Amino acid sequence: MFEFDNVTNRDLCRDFVARVLGKQQGTVPPRLNVLPENSITSTRPEQLSSMEMQRRMKLLQDDSELQKLHKKFVLGNILQESEFWASRKNLLDDEANKGSKQRPGFKSAMLADVRPSADGRTNKVTFSLTTEIIHQIFAEKPAVHRAFLDFVPKKMSEKDFWTKYFRAEYLVRTKNIVAAAAEAAEDEELAIFLKNDDILAKEARLKIKRVDPTLDMEADAGDDYIHLPGHGIIHDGSKETIDTDSDFARRTLSQDLNRHAAVVLEGRSSDVELTNTKTVAEALAKSKKELPSSISDDSNNERLAKVARMTEIEDLQGPRSLPYAPLCIKDPREYFDSQQANALRSLGGNNDGRRIRSSRLSADDAFHHLLDQISSIKVNGLSCPVVHSDVALKETKWKGQKAKEMENTGFKLWYSGTVANKNRVLNELNEGISRSRRLNLKNPQEGLLGQIPQCTRDELMDHWTAIQELLRHFWSSYPITTTVLYNKVQRVKDAMTQIYQKLQDIKESAQPDVRHEMSKLVKPMTQALDAAFNHDLDQQQKVSKAGNCKP
Amino acid sequence: MPISWSTATSTCSTPRWPASCPGRCRRSVSSCSTRHTTSITSALRLSVSASASRRWKALNETCGASRKRLIGRFKATDANRLRAEYNRLVDGLAQRGNLPISDAWLANPALPDDILKEAVPGNIRRAEHFLAVLRRLVRFLDGRLETETVENEMPVSFVASIHSQAGIDQKMLRFCYDRLHSLMLTLEITDTDEFMHIQTICDFATLIGTYTRGFSIITEPYDERMPDIRDPVIQLSCHDASLAIQPVFDRFQTVVITSGTLSPIDLYPRLLNFNPVISRSFTMSLTRDCICPMVLTRGSDQLPVSTKFDMRSDPGVVRNYGRLLLEMSSAVPDGIVCFFVSYSYMDGIVNSWNEMGILQDIMQHKLVFIETPDVVETTLALDNYRKACDCGRGAIFFSVARGKVAEGIDFDRHYGRLVIMFGVPFQYTLSRILLARLEYLRETFQIKEGDFLTFDALRQAAQCVGRVIRSKADYGMMIFADKRYSRHDKRSKLPGWILSHLHDAHLNLSTDMALHIAREFLRRMAQPYDKMGSGGNKTLLTEEDLQNMAQDAMEM
Repeated sequence: MFEFDNVTNRDLCRDFVARVLGKQQGTVPPRLNVLPENSITSTRPEQLSSMEMQRRMKLLQDDSELQKLHKKFVLGNILQESEFWASRKNLLDDEANKGSKQRPGFKSAMLADVRPSADGRTNKVTFSLTTEIIHQIFAEKPAVHRAFLDFVPKKMSEKDFWTKYFRAEYLVRTKNIVAAAAEAAEDEELAIFLKNDDILAKEARLKIKRVDPTLDMEADAGDDYIHLPGHGIIHDGSKETIDTDSDFARRTLSQDLNRHAAVVLEGRSSDVELTNTKTVAEALAKSKKELPSSISDDSNNERLAKVARMTEIEDLQGPRSLPYAPLCIKDPREYFDSQQANALRSLGGNNDGRRIRSSRLSADDAFHHLLDQISSIKVNGLSCPVVHSDVALKETKWKGQKAKEMENTGFKLWYSGTVANKNRVLNELNEGISRSRRLNLKNPQEGLLGQIPQCTRDELMDHWTAIQELLRHFWSSYPITTTVLYNKVQRVKDAMTQIYQKLQDIKESAQPDVRHEMSKLVKPMTQALDAAFNHDLDQQQKVSKAGNCKP
Repeated sequence: MPISWSTATSTCSTPRWPASCPGRCRRSVSSCSTRHTTSITSALRLSVSASASRRWKALNETCGASRKRLIGRFKATDANRLRAEYNRLVDGLAQRGNLPISDAWLANPALPDDILKEAVPGNIRRAEHFLAVLRRLVRFLDGRLETETVENEMPVSFVASIHSQAGIDQKMLRFCYDRLHSLMLTLEITDTDEFMHIQTICDFATLIGTYTRGFSIITEPYDERMPDIRDPVIQLSCHDASLAIQPVFDRFQTVVITSGTLSPIDLYPRLLNFNPVISRSFTMSLTRDCICPMVLTRGSDQLPVSTKFDMRSDPGVVRNYGRLLLEMSSAVPDGIVCFFVSYSYMDGIVNSWNEMGILQDIMQHKLVFIETPDVVETTLALDNYRKACDCGRGAIFFSVARGKVAEGIDFDRHYGRLVIMFGVPFQYTLSRILLARLEYLRETFQIKEGDFLTFDALRQAAQCVGRVIRSKADYGMMIFADKRYSRHDKRSKLPGWILSHLHDAHLNLSTDMALHIAREFLRRMAQPYDKMGSGGNKTLLTEEDLQNMAQDAMEM
């Protein structure tokens, strides 16, 4: 994971990486030609269209984990380019369907609700602003946005503008209606911030025409008499007596929340980098202009479709798949770690010490991550059947013969070869991990990973992902029918042996106090590798036996 | 004559009321629906309140202005037309061209027949005379507003004092609504908004002139929460729901009332004053346990939670409620709906959550939308809420029991996987209207106050949580978050379809236990729905199934 100070820097670096990757991809096919054992089927250099190439490059850019794997195996001559991608067909397909880039959205936190910080001694309160906050304020309060475009810098400086804005906000926050009215009378610019937002009201009128008719409470407001003045129960405790006469009708928190959520939902329409306030304001104005506010037949149809959806009888019809916004996570590990951390932070409260919490957290999210990895493999494995169906059939026959032996030896992980079997292996692993996780949860204070130094932890993680990738290729190449597959297995096996060795090294070099935990952690990995080696050994024996019987 | 009305859209079953009938009387007269979406408001709240002295003054002025304008119009109008009107009035209202007798029921359910056939009394037939009567009436009401004490009167005594002080008898009062209506038609007045206030006065007059029982007139000089601010109000309140349903029973031979929130089923006939020929309570025919009601009595710190008056502002309770929502929002996918007991309580608790930082944590998981008294804003919020659920972002909707959303919006499917009812939605028991009504119910129908209040609150709660499920394929959880729900006398008032799924183990939960149950339930329910079902659990019956069922029935 790279971290950059600014965006231009990142872009530069990204371009560079892309170039290097592109070059290396270009050099892969010749290398294949050099190898003499290659059979005819694969000597044909890959004819990749430039489209395909770009797509792959993009995938690598977007997913740092994938990039790491690619670097390790393809550039390390363990896997071939085509082999690497063969197991990721679904990624390529998905990518083919959606060309668009995921847009960054607004933060769900209410940034616009800037809290003042008082220093306690003087009567001064301080508000702090960032461009992100300003962007949100502009998006949520169009009147402030308009005022900014009008006043700054012609009439007042930016600093004055924000000072005024926050003075008004402070009055609203402290519910000081009298003072607010007085200030507004003196200062017409400040009054703008206190008044109800007329642009919002206008937008609301437009939007109300487009809402789902089954929700439109405004449309049937005339059906009863409650909305008429002088009807319905007053003084029943449910309604606040609101002074509606005030020109500066109080803006309530509910309104702010609704507005905020609506803006977050709409999303950010511009890709402008938030560097300074002026550009933010202008970009927002531009994007608004582009947005046509027409109510066409299209929206009318949409309304009708919505009604139809609400009136159908669901249990007699198939479920409908709604258009969801696809999520694209660049670095799954970081994402899930942060999610887990968030959840724990919000649940953990503020009672116990930070140290304990952090150690528990890291143990937890590590396992979370492992599980996540495994499940992703399962999905991938299922969606790209590498073994052809006829081969699989043969395989099952063979399996049937073998099955008895297997049961006797009690080696459940043993008989694998088809994709389904591979999944069983992974399930087994999965269980093992969750078992140890449960164990671990019993005494959360002694986190498994917490005591292991950071660098070792990262190393282990990397090995784990590498093992997953290798195992996937290993199992998918059985039964070995061609020399290509044989070569591949040999290569993969070599790589696995190396990693196995490294794992052993790590285990042995660990501090004595964490050695036990370490071995627990490494065990599922070595087990998985052992299963693979044993299978390979068994196969070889079978082949040699067959060779001996029939010379 | 069996009638069948669709209950899906409640509006079409709401007839227009002649004189102000503010309580949206949701009635389902239906022969087929098993929906729980409609319910009978047990009272027709008729309150004509002329509130706030300032507003009253405005009203008085507009009344004067209306009168002047009426007279102006009337002078300019052709004398022939006025004479024609006069003749019509002599013949009686029913013969008027604009009121065909066949539709009289739909148009005028609250007015008895005789008023339609009788002739308008002579002393208000002429327009000038009628206006003079109105002037006297407004002056009389003005005088009543100057009172210093709270008064509670029956229509009879009120009418008597009008008669003695303003010289307007009951019959004249009774015809005010129609007389004004007729006059406005004759003068071809289109901008009716300007005459709204005088219409309110006439509605009031007609109602007190028509009914001698079931109503009371409450005059309050100030809001009791702010006794030093003078804010006089006259309210006319209806205590008797049977008045509103009576025309339905008179008119139709077969009336079927269906609702999901009718329990306890024996109370409704008493409230609506009729003898049901058949009354049945049906269980829901579900193919799987797709609803999961829970009663949460304790927060995560094991302290009880409740919206009881002495506990509701306790920061511990507020925090516990917040943590409940926070933990649920992290575990439940898509939409969550929360109901609060009142607007003021919701405002208060949302503000507290905001200050405690709980709201910010909740927003990490889901977007938050809130119902406000403003209909347009609420509609937009609901629309956005649905969008957020559709796109997978997930959202929470805060709403108020007895509010518009609770009454008419469904939160089925992914629009509501969980509904939390924070507290028991009791009515505001200090309200004088409620007190008068309770007294009336006790005296007339022998219904105890406590019984009625509990019944009403639990019906509202059931109404709220029932919004979450609409079909067999749907699923949802319901959390009743108040320690009072664990008491048997409260809980047993919930409808059978909820009670049958409310296991004993779910009656006294704390937040963490509820979270655990929720996770288990969601995992079970999120499996693909088997439309074909198995055995007797089929969603869709084939012809063969039907024949088998018929045969079974025959054999029995």
